[in-house]
Amino acid sequence: MDGYTIVNILGALLIISSLLVVLLHGLRRTAIIYGIQAFILVCIFVTLGFTTSSTELFTWAGTAFITKVILVPGVMLFAYSRLLKLGKPPEEPPASIRPMTAIILAAVELLICFAAVWGINLPTAEAVRPALAISLAHFFIGLTCIVSQRNIFKQIFGYCLMENGSHLTLALLAPTAPELVEIGVATDAIFAVVIMAFLAYRIYKTTKSLDSDDLKELKG
Amino acid sequence: MEASTLIILLMIIPLFAGVFMACFPSKHIPQAFYETVHFLSVLAVALLAVYLVVIVMTSGNAVMALGNWFRLDSLGSIFVALIGVVGFLTGWYSLSYIRHDVAEGKMTPGQVKRYYVFFNLFIFTMLLAALSNNIIMMWASIEATTLATVFLVGAYDTKTALEAAWKYIIVCTCGVAFGLYGTVLVYANAAAVMPDPTQAVFWTELLPNASSFDAMLIQIAFVFAAVGFGTKAGLFPMHTWLPDAHSEAPSPVSGLLSGVLLKCAILVVIRFYILAIQTIGTFFPQLIMLILGIASIVVAVFGVFSQDDIKRKLAYSSCENIGVVALCLGFGGPLGIAAALLHCILHGITKSFLFCLSGNLLMKYGTRDLRKIRGVIQVAPATAVLFIIGLLAISAFPPFAMFVSEVLAFISGVVTGYLWVVIIMGIVLTVVIAAFVRVATGSILSKPSEDSKLEKKDVGPAALIPEIIMACVVIWFGVAMPQPIISGVEEATSIVMQVDDTEEMYDTPLFEDIFGHSGGSSTDEIRQ
Repeated sequence: MDGYTIVNILGALLIISSLLVVLLHGLRRTAIIYGIQAFILVCIFVTLGFTTSSTELFTWAGTAFITKVILVPGVMLFAYSRLLKLGKPPEEPPASIRPMTAIILAAVELLICFAAVWGINLPTAEAVRPALAISLAHFFIGLTCIVSQRNIFKQIFGYCLMENGSHLTLALLAPTAPELVEIGVATDAIFAVVIMAFLAYRIYKTTKSLDSDDLKELKG
Repeated sequence: MEASTLIILLMIIPLFAGVFMACFPSKHIPQAFYETVHFLSVLAVALLAVYLVVIVMTSGNAVMALGNWFRLDSLGSIFVALIGVVGFLTGWYSLSYIRHDVAEGKMTPGQVKRYYVFFNLFIFTMLLAALSNNIIMMWASIEATTLATVFLVGAYDTKTALEAAWKYIIVCTCGVAFGLYGTVLVYANAAAVMPDPTQAVFWTELLPNASSFDAMLIQIAFVFAAVGFGTKAGLFPMHTWLPDAHSEAPSPVSGLLSGVLLKCAILVVIRFYILAIQTIGTFFPQLIMLILGIASIVVAVFGVFSQDDIKRKLAYSSCENIGVVALCLGFGGPLGIAAALLHCILHGITKSFLFCLSGNLLMKYGTRDLRKIRGVIQVAPATAVLFIIGLLAISAFPPFAMFVSEVLAFISGVVTGYLWVVIIMGIVLTVVIAAFVRVATGSILSKPSEDSKLEKKDVGPAALIPEIIMACVVIWFGVAMPQPIISGVEEATSIVMQVDDTEEMYDTPLFEDIFGHSGGSSTDEIRQ
């Protein structure tokens, strides 16, 4: 089995785990699944590193491990523990669409992304087309998560999924990109997550709700 | 000092001021300390920005800094000048506005400090976006503007302010994630075809190689970039954050958000627009901008008309005007591009002027609800006169500045053969005029309500002086547009059009009549 086949298989695992991030109820569980999902991403970076002999990708894998596998779930779990200190465990609002609808939506997105990726004529894209389509679909699954979830903390995970999708595309299409590019992307994303988690915490402190449907006072 | 060093200094000043103020505790330090540091910082940024822009405009050469990482060309100059000037005026106005909020008990010393810290960081991130030559850095800086402003939008810590801040950060980070995806696609494509992949991240290096990029990939990338950075610019369909954020933020911040930040995002869209045109020609990028522009205008005008909240009304008007900018980019051609750039400058000044004035109303009436704001002409005459000027200016009446750019927009549409779009635009824009006439007659020129106990005294001179300066600029630019601005827009247009000499654009009807005597020089050196 060559490296690209492994990358494509890991890509499939990535889709399943990101769907779980969208579907699972409970913030703690979601944070852990997100960590696993990010770890699969790191594995893809390492496999790609061996396959393309790109040393940069190993650095990427390192920074992705720190920021995505450790820091993002860490920040989210920390924010959750702070919520618990404010009183009884927060009530987590359900998603606004049914799980089955979310799965069908993800499947449709995947199909569209496969169709779009097959139109691209780029030498580096040839071997990794399935993974490339998955990375694009991953981005849209993240968007689906934001749109379909009422839990504001879940929406943050949606953003993380979108960002992981772009990160994977970058690794697949430009495995020799300078580390600085990748570190810049990763750092900016972690800042965004920290600020969003802090804001979500403040919203819960003020409104005693994690439901984005309760944030509908401003209209028109 | 060399210009390249000054570019770095320009960015360091607000960054340093922000970090410096953040180091001090808010409790034992008087508010005047933060005000002084803030004022000196915005003043220095304004002076340095104008000085650098003059250097670039007069020499005709782009200035590079830190290798290829930062670059000030004629196109970026327009936006850097806007950041400097509007940043200074809204920063100056902030002093009296925030003092009033403190006196009313709306802000604690901690919030005041946070306000000035983030105001400076906000200016820093916008400068970063306008000066960056690295496409990944462009994305990071636009993302950073969101992160720097989210606490300014939520400055008052009320439920609605937090709601606005949440919508702002979620919609904008997700929107800008589209921008990241588009950026990544362009970079990946460039890294695969360019002889030196390490250069694939620099906009100036991408341009000469753009013709060898994959057409399908660049089409996808451009749609992602236009929608993504368009989110930050307030373009349909991701404009929903804008009325909330602009109405909940303190008024000077609303002015800076509307007047300048939206334009910085448009600058990044323009950079991708130039790249896309080099790869796939003008049809597709112009079509996308045309669709986004028309949709934004049509959706926004009804918001302008139906809102009773003055700041939400102004915010929808910003969506509409950004739609006009996108539409002009959609028309294309030298006239369309020039109209888009000119509209960025003129709307930037006019809208920040109006948002500051809405701050006067808030200080005086304590509400943004136009149904409760009555008889401004009697309660605060100076504010009322300025407001009438502002309302006429934003409705694009002569002799005010925006008349020039909107007429140019109409002409460019007719010249490029989009007569039906121009007709729709003309009809739709009359709704905006109707909306602002209603504000003028219903709130400004009406009689105060009988139960009103408001003292007949205008806001202080510290608030009025920056506004009077803005009013003068709005009239000055409408009556006699300064020559350096005309030639600056002409040279920036030549960068977007990618022509070596500005005279190559004179074949377009009317372009030479409007810009021909501006002294625009050969831009061969500017482009490279």
